[in-house]
Amino acid sequence: MISQDGVNLAVCVITAHFGDLVAKVCSCLLKRGSLSLQEIVRTTEFSNSQVKNCLLVLIQHNCVQAFSVPRGGAGGATKTVTQYMALFDNILHRMRFSKFLAIVKGDLGVQCETLLQGILGYGRLTFDQLMVRATSKQSEGSSCNVDVLRKNFSKLVHGHYVERCPRPEPFIAPSEEAAPARKRSSKFREEILSLEQQVVIAASLTDAERFSEIPNTGTDASVTEDKQDVTVGDKRKFESTELDEETEATISETEVLWRANFQKFVFCLKKKVCVAKVRSRKGLDAGVVLEAIIESSEQECDSSKIYVKASMDSILEKVRGKPDGISMTLELVRGILEDLDCSSHTEDCNVYYTIELQCITESCRKDEVESLILTKYGKEAFRIFGLLNRKGSPVETDQISDFTLVDKKVAQQVLYNLWKDDFLSMQKVSVEGTGQRRENFLWKLNKKSSWNLVLNHLYHAALNLNQKITHVVEQEHEALLSEEKLKHLKNSRTILELSLLKLDDAIMIFHDF
Amino acid sequence: MLPQKRPHPDSKSKPPPLPEAEQKIYTSIKSKQSMGIWTADIKRETGLPNTVVTKALKSLQNKNLIKDVVNVHNRAKKMFMAVEFEPSREISGGSWYTDGKLDTELINALKRVCLRYIAEHKVTTMEEISRSIEASRVLNVPCSMQQLLEIVRTLVLDKEIEEFRSKGAGEFARVPSGKTCYRISRGKVGTEAGYLASVPCGVCPRISECTPDGVISPKTCVYYNKWLNLDF
Repeated sequence: MISQDGVNLAVCVITAHFGDLVAKVCSCLLKRGSLSLQEIVRTTEFSNSQVKNCLLVLIQHNCVQAFSVPRGGAGGATKTVTQYMALFDNILHRMRFSKFLAIVKGDLGVQCETLLQGILGYGRLTFDQLMVRATSKQSEGSSCNVDVLRKNFSKLVHGHYVERCPRPEPFIAPSEEAAPARKRSSKFREEILSLEQQVVIAASLTDAERFSEIPNTGTDASVTEDKQDVTVGDKRKFESTELDEETEATISETEVLWRANFQKFVFCLKKKVCVAKVRSRKGLDAGVVLEAIIESSEQECDSSKIYVKASMDSILEKVRGKPDGISMTLELVRGILEDLDCSSHTEDCNVYYTIELQCITESCRKDEVESLILTKYGKEAFRIFGLLNRKGSPVETDQISDFTLVDKKVAQQVLYNLWKDDFLSMQKVSVEGTGQRRENFLWKLNKKSSWNLVLNHLYHAALNLNQKITHVVEQEHEALLSEEKLKHLKNSRTILELSLLKLDDAIMIFHDF
Repeated sequence: MLPQKRPHPDSKSKPPPLPEAEQKIYTSIKSKQSMGIWTADIKRETGLPNTVVTKALKSLQNKNLIKDVVNVHNRAKKMFMAVEFEPSREISGGSWYTDGKLDTELINALKRVCLRYIAEHKVTTMEEISRSIEASRVLNVPCSMQQLLEIVRTLVLDKEIEEFRSKGAGEFARVPSGKTCYRISRGKVGTEAGYLASVPCGVCPRISECTPDGVISPKTCVYYNKWLNLDF
């Protein structure tokens, strides 16, 4: 379920990119779940055409997915209704386009980055449209440029950075446990989550379809000449096959829509964060080895996978391909793999190593929360929080104080502050002892709700940074500003924008990884 | 010279009988053993007037039958205990408390000593730390293994050191497999500055009241202006 802070951030992003009208339609979908066109019109009080245009923009930019559901009409007749569902994750990804571009630039070069920029800017494009955009930016287009474009585009597809767009309007069969339409309680929200998953799955193409490259027929003169030597029947058959391939290529270029594959980019960012974490904890060599395992893993593209597996041979190959890994011996790599707590097994005479990425990302989440506790509540709170995180079960106040060597009064105050801010849960227990009845307090860290609390704070902080950036930009455009003040405002904007990018890393750690 | 009276056989072992009020109060205090009892509870249990209780407590203290102790949970309130008992851990706070106060100086000194020893050795066990500190005679007070373990545990919680189970190989070769050992934290000591903690909103006490167009908002936020030096 998306929190109010998350919704506010998503609406802020849409407002900044597409304006208030589109943002209002998006806000309506985020708050109320999937709705039909008429329901959106009723809620937003916009005209039919206004809502349609807003939906078209949101669908074009992969922020909304349409789907069909059957709905019982009068007299028992069932009709198909189109509903629209906001894609919260994709909306937030709009904040990360600069990171996605940097990934492609680093992996495939500037030209591929430029192609991707076009796709991100327009949401979805056919190859033909992409070519038109790219060639119009250069001087008179030549066939050579088209071939280069095609080659670069192929690289993007082959690298899974772009994919064919999903089905525009999949049909969702009714679920047997569907809640009544009137209920708009938490049960309805639960239904939205499962419906969203159903829609996304139904709309998705298979991997083979998603990354199916555009066939390249080419126009070779020698082929035309060869046709003279062929018999009449074969020639007719050959021409018909060539026509089909040409038609197929034309269709692929002019009708198939392509968009950025966000899953791939999320995985790349997840890899970056995990490698950075391991590097900071266990050293440069460990970071190199982890990167090698992830890159040689079979489950490379799927960011939802909690572990990666690779053979020793492929790990070594990747390690030695890196500047920092060129001189690493087998023994050193093996030692690091053990230090990383990788499990190993033998399969078809090859040794495979598996590492749980989930442990690394969980460690990132823990560190982020502990850092917040240390900065906001102090060293004693940091120690107490660390203890409760380890224990996982309720602990009594005096025990906490004894274990952490924090003064009992101070411990009580710290625990109360953490409980007041919803990081801890508290339970009162009456205890009989030497004729006296005392009340003891038991404290427990509820990890799931604490992590959700921090994620909401992250959303709120990101929203605030966005608004502050807008405010600073407005100030920059004010008249009668001295040069010094203008420079100061620009520096402030840079700080805010960089902070927002870093904060977004934390949002991904809690929400996407 | 007058003949000396034969001393009564029990005159030294039996103290003179206490007045009724003192006896009542003494019985009440003694029954609480190592838990002690507050003055207010004595008054409530015995039903005696304030002045009588105060006078009796003073008298019992002078006769060395009771003593006052500090309760670590409430240092301001008076608590009494029979002299033959030692305050329980619940009352005293444990070995790290003196007169109800945590001995932070001793704790910090022990932490520094343990940290120095662990830093000098790649991987070390609790027994090695304890032996080394005892041999160095750097401490004026005796320190048990249990106390040192408590100190080392706080260093783990502070992320100054890491706790492991030995694998019996590599850098753990000299430590039996499965034994708990310690080493200095690798990488950045302690915790790195988090993303949320690096912006004003992360540690803002008013975050729950902050709204886009409210009295407290990013536009009007004084913490933001201070952070960016935008106070103009």
